[in-house]
Amino acid sequence: MPTVDLRATAADQRILAATRRCIARWGVAKTTLDDVAGEAGCSRATIYRLFPGGKDNLLTALAQREVAALFDALRLRLDGVDDLEELVVTGITEAARRLAGHDALQFLLAHEPEVLLPRICFHQMDSVLRTISEFAAPYLAPHVGPDEASRAAEWLARMVLSYTACPAPWVDVRDEESVRRLVRAFVLPGLVQQATLRG
Amino acid sequence: MDLTVRERILEAAYECVARYGLGKTTVEDVTRAARVSRATVYRYFPGGRDQLVSEVIAWETGRFFGRLAEAVAGAGDFAGLLEEALVFAHRAIEEHEVLQKILETEPERLLPQLTVQSERILVFIRGFLLPYLERERLRPGVDPGEAADYVSRMLLSFTASPGRWDLTDRAQVAELVRTELVAGILEPAETV
Repeated sequence: MPTVDLRATAADQRILAATRRCIARWGVAKTTLDDVAGEAGCSRATIYRLFPGGKDNLLTALAQREVAALFDALRLRLDGVDDLEELVVTGITEAARRLAGHDALQFLLAHEPEVLLPRICFHQMDSVLRTISEFAAPYLAPHVGPDEASRAAEWLARMVLSYTACPAPWVDVRDEESVRRLVRAFVLPGLVQQATLRG
Repeated sequence: MDLTVRERILEAAYECVARYGLGKTTVEDVTRAARVSRATVYRYFPGGRDQLVSEVIAWETGRFFGRLAEAVAGAGDFAGLLEEALVFAHRAIEEHEVLQKILETEPERLLPQLTVQSERILVFIRGFLLPYLERERLRPGVDPGEAADYVSRMLLSFTASPGRWDLTDRAQVAELVRTELVAGILEPAETV
């Protein structure tokens, strides 16, 4: 196993956490490396050493860290859940709550959509869906088969994203009972149908 | 063609956007292309450049849905309608040169508008789908309004980003519609 420099790891996590706080407060355009350094209590040189390439790389690393944190949180809730309905309901609700409660993400959606949207719309959304599907498909595979699991995972991701970005008055994707109604109405019959079509 | 002045200005603005992009189109460009005076442009679009740009996006979005509605008008039932809509809309977006150029070069100017307008777009698609849905036999307990909203969201999502589905393949589109769109909504067909 490669040795890990614990101090360096701690420093880069501290810098990423500081970057997130700055974005939640001022947005991407107004956040400078000096702001991040001040917030993290380190020097600009340390940021450049740990994130060569400056602000762009810092933002990419932050996005990767936040996605990994979301998946970790979902794993905690989903590991060991055997029932298909529970998996789907818990997965959608937990993901929606975390997106709604993410300070930096919500700042960008409200005040700097032009920074965020080009990375997550049209063709870019296809790669977002692929990432989510790679995470979620293994949970669905025992229930719907490995082939259908990837598509089903993408489908659930579409639902989380659509109802989060543009809420409907008749469903609250952060509320478990509301999601259960949605899932029973539109998702479970489709998963059964998929299984039937595949024989 | 007999266009109203407002339409003539929007048509000209669309041509300018196609040529120069959303960011570089100016009121002067539009004035020249529409052969009207600056004062006329400002009479119809008092917000100037910004209003012109945002209205030309809404205008072309409306025209896009008009073409879509025409393309699917002959569909026999709700599932068939959704298949036609997915195939047409996906191809129309891929082949929409102005949209693709903007997504390539200045997506940040377009996408916030499409997102801000996505509520309007959803309302429009819902209103279009509802009469078709009301002619179908629905599963017990299905609310047509909620079902139309659900299907509208999925149509938008799949059209912009098909993910693992190939929307040029009719068999795949039919499977997608039967499973992820209408399985929970329509009463299953009688099996022979």
